[in-house]
Amino acid sequence: MTARKLAQPFPLVTPDTDAMQAAQTMAAQHLPGLIVCGEDGRPYTILPGSQVLRFLIPTYVQDDPGLAGALDEEASDELCRKLVHSTVRDLLPQPPDLDELPVVDVDATSLEVAAVMARMHSPLVAVVDEHDGGNRVIGAITVSRLLDHLLPPRPAN
Amino acid sequence: MTAVLVVAAFAAAYVLIATERIHRVAAALSGAAAMVLLGVVDARVAFFSEKTGIDWNVIFLLLGMMVIVSVLKQTGVFDYLAIWAAKRTRGRPFATMVMLVVITAVASALLDNVTTVLLIAPVTLLVCDRLGLAPVPFLIAEALASNIGGTATLIGDPPNIIIASRAGLTFNDFLVNLAPIVIILLVVFIGLCRLLFRSAFTYDPERVAALMALDEREVIKDRGLLLRSGIVLVAVMVGFVAHSALHIQPSMVALLGAGALVALSKLDPPEFLEEVEWPTLVFFMGLFVMVGALVEVGVIGRLGTLLTDAVGDQYLLASSALLWGSALLSGIVDNIPYVATVTPLVQTLVDAGHGAGQATALWWALALGADLGGNATAVGASANVVVIGIAARNGHRISFWQFTRYGSVVAAVTIAVSWVYLWLRFYAFG
Repeated sequence: MTARKLAQPFPLVTPDTDAMQAAQTMAAQHLPGLIVCGEDGRPYTILPGSQVLRFLIPTYVQDDPGLAGALDEEASDELCRKLVHSTVRDLLPQPPDLDELPVVDVDATSLEVAAVMARMHSPLVAVVDEHDGGNRVIGAITVSRLLDHLLPPRPAN
Repeated sequence: MTAVLVVAAFAAAYVLIATERIHRVAAALSGAAAMVLLGVVDARVAFFSEKTGIDWNVIFLLLGMMVIVSVLKQTGVFDYLAIWAAKRTRGRPFATMVMLVVITAVASALLDNVTTVLLIAPVTLLVCDRLGLAPVPFLIAEALASNIGGTATLIGDPPNIIIASRAGLTFNDFLVNLAPIVIILLVVFIGLCRLLFRSAFTYDPERVAALMALDEREVIKDRGLLLRSGIVLVAVMVGFVAHSALHIQPSMVALLGAGALVALSKLDPPEFLEEVEWPTLVFFMGLFVMVGALVEVGVIGRLGTLLTDAVGDQYLLASSALLWGSALLSGIVDNIPYVATVTPLVQTLVDAGHGAGQATALWWALALGADLGGNATAVGASANVVVIGIAARNGHRISFWQFTRYGSVVAAVTIAVSWVYLWLRFYAFG
C-alpha cells in the first residue's frame, strides 16, 4: 500500500500556533505528535508529544526523575500552566532539527514509510504530494496506523 | 640532553592541559607517551615504581569512592536531605541557603566535589522553584561550599588524595590539621553569603506552602538500599579514621567499601559504575607518568635542592608563598596537575626539615591553597564548571565574570583566614 492510501487527515500547526491549543489537539485526538508547517505550507518539522513533555517538565526533574515523586498534583497543574502564553515555537527544541524531516512522498511504500520512522525515531511521518512541483501536506501516517497495516490480523477468539 | 627534552615535553603537555586546546586526557597521555619514547619511562617504572610510577593508591581510592557514590546516588538520600532541610527553614531564603551550603560542604568532605554538586543542584533548583527564588546565588554558593568542604578530609578533593599518598599522611592527619580551619572557613563563608547574595533573599510567605507541600519521603527510592548504604558508608568512614591503626591503606578501605556496597545493593554493573569517571582516572595515570619522568631524570631533585637552599629555615615564608601561589595558580589552571607536579618538590622541602612541624605545615599550605584557590574563578574547579553547566541547561546563565566576582572574594578571604590559621598554629607559637 502506498503512503497516499495510508495517510489520514492530520491537524497542521505553525510555529506561531498557541502551545496550549496544540497540546490540547494532541490530547483530544490521541495523536503522537503534530506536523508543524511553515508560512509556505510546507512541513517545517514534527512536534512529537514527548517534546511537549520536555517543555513542561523542568530540566532538573528530567536529570533527577526521583524528584518528581516529591511534587503533588497542584505542582503538576502549575507546570501545565507554562503552556499559557507560549507558542509551538517555544515547544520545539532550540535550535529545531531541520536537517532531515520525517516526510515521505505519496508514492512511498509502507516499508519505505517504516524505514523513515525507524531511522528517525519518529512516531509519525508527514505525507506530501510533490507532483507539479508542490509540497502540499495531504496527511500523516502514525506508527499505530502503519503497524495496523503491516501486522497480520489478530486471530478471533 | 634527555632532561631538557623531558622538561620540554612536560611543559608542552602541561600547556595543552592548561589551555584545553585538546582534551586533558589526550594531553596527559601524549605527555606520558613522550616520556616513554624518550626512554625515561618503561613498564617497570610506570606500573611498579612506588616513587616515579602511577600511584595506584590514588587511582583505586578514587575508583572505590566513585563506586560508593554510584550506589548512594540510587538511594535518593541527597534529595531527601535537601528537601527536609529546606522545609525545616520554613522557606526563609537565607536559612535555606545556609542549610544547603552546610549539606554540600559536609557531603563534599566525604565524597567527590563534582558528584556532590551534581546531586545537590537539581534539588536546589526544585526548592528555589517552589519558593520563587532566583537559583543562581544558591548554585554559586553550593559550588564554593563544595570546594571549601572538600578541603577538610583526605578524600574530599583529588589534590588531597595525591598529597596524602605522596606524603604518607593519614586520614586523621587531614582531620586534625585541616578540618578545624575548614569549619571556621565555613562559618566565614556563610557570613560572606549573607553579604554577597543579600539581594537574593526575598521572602514570599505565599510561596512557602508550595515548599511545604513537597514530600521528601517520596524521593527515597529504596529504603532497604538506603539502610545498607548508610551502614557501609559509616563503616568506610570508620575504616578511614582507623586505617593507620589497622595498617590498611585508604585505597583498600574504599575498595572494600565499594565491594561491600556492590554485593549488598545487588545493582547491575552499569548502575554501580555509573559515577566512575574513567577519563579522570586515565588522566591521573598520564600525569603520574609525566611527573615520574621529571623525577627519573633528576629535574625534581635539582629543583628541590635549589628550593631547599633558598628556603633554608624560613618555613613561614615558604608556607605563605606556597599557600598564596597555589591559590593563584589553582584559580587559573586545573589544580590536579599542579599538585601532582609540586608534590615532589614540597616533599624535598619537608624532608629537609627532618619532621619539624613547621616544615610539615607546608603540606597543609599546599592543600589549602590548591583546594580553596579553585573558588577564585569560574574555571578554577571542576565543581564550578559543572554547576554553571547545570544552571545553563535549566535556563539560568551564569557568566564567567558573574561567578568570578563572587568566587574571587570568597577565595581571597578564605585564603587570608587560612594564612592566619597556619601562622598561629605552626609558626607563631611553634
